[in-house]
Amino acid sequence: MKRRGPRLAGLPLLPAAILVAATLYSSTGQSFKHVAIGDTLKNPTLPTLDGKQATLLRADRKVSVFMFLRPDQEYSKYVLDEMARCEHEFEGKSVAWVAIVSDYYPKTVVQPLVDEAGFKSPVLIDAGDTLYGDLGVILQPVVGIADGKLKLVAYQPFAKVNFCNVIRARILFQLGEISQAELDRAINPPKAELGGENEVAQRNLRFAEMMYKSKKYDVASERLQKCLEHDPKHAPCHALLGAIAADQGQCDVAKPALQKALELDPANQVALEAKKRCP
Amino acid sequence: MFVRQNRLAAIARRSSLVVAVILVAAISLAAEKPKKALAPAKPAAKAQPAKGQPAAKPQPAAASTGDTSKLGSNAPVTNPAWSHAPFESGDCSICHVNKDPKNPGKLTMPVEELCLGCHDQIADLVKGHSAKHKPAQENCVYCHNAHNAPEKKLLKQKPPALCYGCHDKIQAEATKGKVKHDALTMGEGCANCHNAHGSDVEHLLISLPYDLCVNCHSKDDIPDHDGKKLTNFGKLLAENPVKHEPVAGKDCSACHTPHGSNNFRLLKEEYPAKFYSPYDPKNYALCYSCHNDQILAQPKTTTLTGFRDGDRNLHYVHVNKKSSGRTCRACHEVHASKQPHQIRDAVPFGPSSWLLKVNYKQLSDGGQCEKTCHATKRYINGEAKAAPVKK
Repeated sequence: MKRRGPRLAGLPLLPAAILVAATLYSSTGQSFKHVAIGDTLKNPTLPTLDGKQATLLRADRKVSVFMFLRPDQEYSKYVLDEMARCEHEFEGKSVAWVAIVSDYYPKTVVQPLVDEAGFKSPVLIDAGDTLYGDLGVILQPVVGIADGKLKLVAYQPFAKVNFCNVIRARILFQLGEISQAELDRAINPPKAELGGENEVAQRNLRFAEMMYKSKKYDVASERLQKCLEHDPKHAPCHALLGAIAADQGQCDVAKPALQKALELDPANQVALEAKKRCP
Repeated sequence: MFVRQNRLAAIARRSSLVVAVILVAAISLAAEKPKKALAPAKPAAKAQPAKGQPAAKPQPAAASTGDTSKLGSNAPVTNPAWSHAPFESGDCSICHVNKDPKNPGKLTMPVEELCLGCHDQIADLVKGHSAKHKPAQENCVYCHNAHNAPEKKLLKQKPPALCYGCHDKIQAEATKGKVKHDALTMGEGCANCHNAHGSDVEHLLISLPYDLCVNCHSKDDIPDHDGKKLTNFGKLLAENPVKHEPVAGKDCSACHTPHGSNNFRLLKEEYPAKFYSPYDPKNYALCYSCHNDQILAQPKTTTLTGFRDGDRNLHYVHVNKKSSGRTCRACHEVHASKQPHQIRDAVPFGPSSWLLKVNYKQLSDGGQCEKTCHATKRYINGEAKAAPVKK
């Protein structure tokens, strides 16, 4: 392959076959092209940016995180910054990190970005994009996560939204610190919205409670009626409505309201107390 | 709980003294906490740097200026459309130390504690989610008027004007971009997509981008600003199982800037409008956001792409031409397709846009295109055997 850019001097060529390529091609793009989730990765030793050598994965760690980056690309810069933050967060835990860059990029370009991000773990130099080709990388930046048995457990191409939240959750899941449900929630967060009718009912109840304390029974009752318009099965609103009537000696009004409240919530304290005043 | 027009507002209009006293109280209320600088949000898209040069530090486009002074006072307004029930009750002691509207005095507790005491589900949003809006955490009256207001939800202004008070970079994107997004100005404005109190999705999005976008873009008759009908993505994605990774990842914002753009279809970078174009890396800035530019730059490779015959890079062959290079869209569907690699079913051909079938076949050792733009040609890349397309 003809190379346009400068190469890192003195880097040994990598063996041609580094990884066990999976035979399954994921047409939905949910993994690397040649390695699927659950496949065991080979673990090549590559030269590093600081002139040493390091392996892609660490069998002595519960989790190995590796990311393919391109230093001239905004999203890669973002991912490196965020992964440096994650690296710091997970300090002391059984997590190993590496970044992988093509030898197309000179050290003078890569090093400042690594320093600026504060990424401390090895930056592997992928001579001739061999590792890139063996895994079948399609997108960059991309993060792969392997477990202690060197199995690929997660593949995460860059996303503009919630990328780091998901990576963090995937690592925590592998460490056994969060459940599958919590991981699913990070990958597909629930809608952030208010509770609709129940929310309005609850808000009216809170205001009614304040009015009740100030003995403004009319305003409180008005609010409780509104509460029940929005949520007819709101036990606390029935209960307070009954309590207000009981306080005013209107047991004929209080009794049905208290009865309804206790049907919905037999342990409702407001209703139980008020019932003593209107037995 | 918000009711139209109220008797207390009428009193306030008649009595300048009352207004003055409440104004003093409101100022003291707003001063409960110092107005801190707001934290920057995640970076927005930027242009690609020159090859071999480091990427520029991402800029926080969604970050606000932190200057909440533009948001106005918390004093009752004279022509409110909406009023807060406690204010309506006339009993200032619900929130203030005194009952008397002429002398309400200070608040009984910090403003956010007061508000969240009743609005407890807002409290869950403000405190219980990973993405938080600083104003919602610090002082509700940055955005809401606790007495009455011209806008529903007791907002001091209607979004997006209210939001632009702090988010001036977003305002610039939205108003200066050649291509506008109606989602900002119709319906609930910014609140169509954002929950200003809190969310588990970054940028305070109500849900992941795709789930928001298809809320509107799953209809047949939505026109763009030139009157051209936009794609029904609900239908397109249901019919086409091979999805582009950002689509599968629900990340429309990987390619689109939803607030405004200078590029066609709110794209964050340039993307060739036509099927043929001389090769220029600048044309593919959008694709290079995530794809390796060397795929189109290297005539020979055994690693960068599977679309190669031996080491002959067929992406290079098709695209990297001084004239009549095929652009990405000539062979690939952008969002989803029925064929592997998002290969198109057909290409519009000739002046009447007759559809020329691509007839791509994925083979165990490569692939082939049959009787299409050219006679049947097969390539062998020696890569792993392909699995059938999942449908």
